[in-house]
Amino acid sequence: MGGSNSPHCTLFSVSVTEASQSILWLSEVAGASLLAGVVGSISGLGGGIVIVPVLTMLMHVPIEQAIGASIVSVIAVSSGAGAVYVKDKITNVRIAMFLELATASGALLGAGYLSRHINPQALYILFGLVLLLSLLPIFARLGEELPAGVENDRIASALRLNSSYFDKRLGREIQYNVTGIPWALCIMFAAGIVSGILGIGAGVLKVLAHEVAMKVPTKVSTATSNFMIGVTAAAGAGVYLRRGLVLPFLVVPVAVFVLAGAFLGTTIMERLSNSLLRKIFALLLAIVGFQMLIRGLGGRY
Amino acid sequence: MPIDRKTNAPSHGISDVSAWVLRGGVICSSLVMLIGIVFTFAHGTISVHRIKTDGCDYRPDIIWDGIRHGQGKRIIEAGIYLLLFTPIMRVFASSILFAFQERDRRYTAITLLVLILTLAGLLWIG
Repeated sequence: MGGSNSPHCTLFSVSVTEASQSILWLSEVAGASLLAGVVGSISGLGGGIVIVPVLTMLMHVPIEQAIGASIVSVIAVSSGAGAVYVKDKITNVRIAMFLELATASGALLGAGYLSRHINPQALYILFGLVLLLSLLPIFARLGEELPAGVENDRIASALRLNSSYFDKRLGREIQYNVTGIPWALCIMFAAGIVSGILGIGAGVLKVLAHEVAMKVPTKVSTATSNFMIGVTAAAGAGVYLRRGLVLPFLVVPVAVFVLAGAFLGTTIMERLSNSLLRKIFALLLAIVGFQMLIRGLGGRY
Repeated sequence: MPIDRKTNAPSHGISDVSAWVLRGGVICSSLVMLIGIVFTFAHGTISVHRIKTDGCDYRPDIIWDGIRHGQGKRIIEAGIYLLLFTPIMRVFASSILFAFQERDRRYTAITLLVLILTLAGLLWIG
């Protein structure tokens, strides 16, 4: 995996080995990115969950540069899949806009102030523990297809957050109410802080806010979280750009293949049942939780 | 379960425009990045070492200068910037629609505030 130091080799043979090495390396990146796009768009998490461990462990990219590439890929998944989910009216644009207020201010506080006072390792551990604990309320309604008995709370009524979407699997329009907005705002604010300090999309906290606090159907959770993470990641990407941690030649294959995966993922997601989607999310939640714990304990992944 | 039906049908204008902005953004940025790759390969191959170490320059003047000289890497960086601004353009477009099409003051204020907070994060901090 080494590669030569000089990008402009004059010897033909050297340049051919170099080219074939690069192509092999890039096809591995492409495969991982395609998978990340599918996983990210189906789950509403963005895809860093696949990109970061593959880049660091298999491709030996330093963790900060891997997160830099992952931020760009999150924006790509969010925009690519977002275009489809919004057009199909699964995304709840009002919920997204309102809650982005909490994420954006959390991110600003996190990146601008807290990042100088909080130890990132400790935050990774805290974040990991919170995620693993939040598996409990998810497990409680693991098999549920549509949330039952949800009433709009006061804020949701005032801001007209309840809506409907057409479920391709059930073959009918699903009306839903939205509750627990104060809790959702708190979780989204925390998600913003985590993104601002760690430079990750924290999509998992966004889906949690939808699932556990607001109790909207899982497809709406996924699509709306997916829609929101692009804005959060864009705000965080500035830091990585300025520190030179976004590698252009790495980002291109990642972005292009992640996009292809994201489009593929949208066609799969709309045909899945809400309960299967929630099971996929629970699994990914557990993986991200352990990933963060390991990172907090000093692991490189 | 009583569902409150008198409230909003989802605003189709905003959904459609958001979808259009997002799709336009990803298509444009990927095209620009691919053009950058073509320009890079016109000058030789890219080693794995260079992929892993060659960082991004964020300064618009350096990028603009590089684009004028046909440097692949700078063209790619412009594509990355396009991608980065795609979600932000989406927020901007919704704020305009909330203000002028829906005439919804509350949501116009919300979207504008999100826009300001996001730009602040992107431009000032770090």
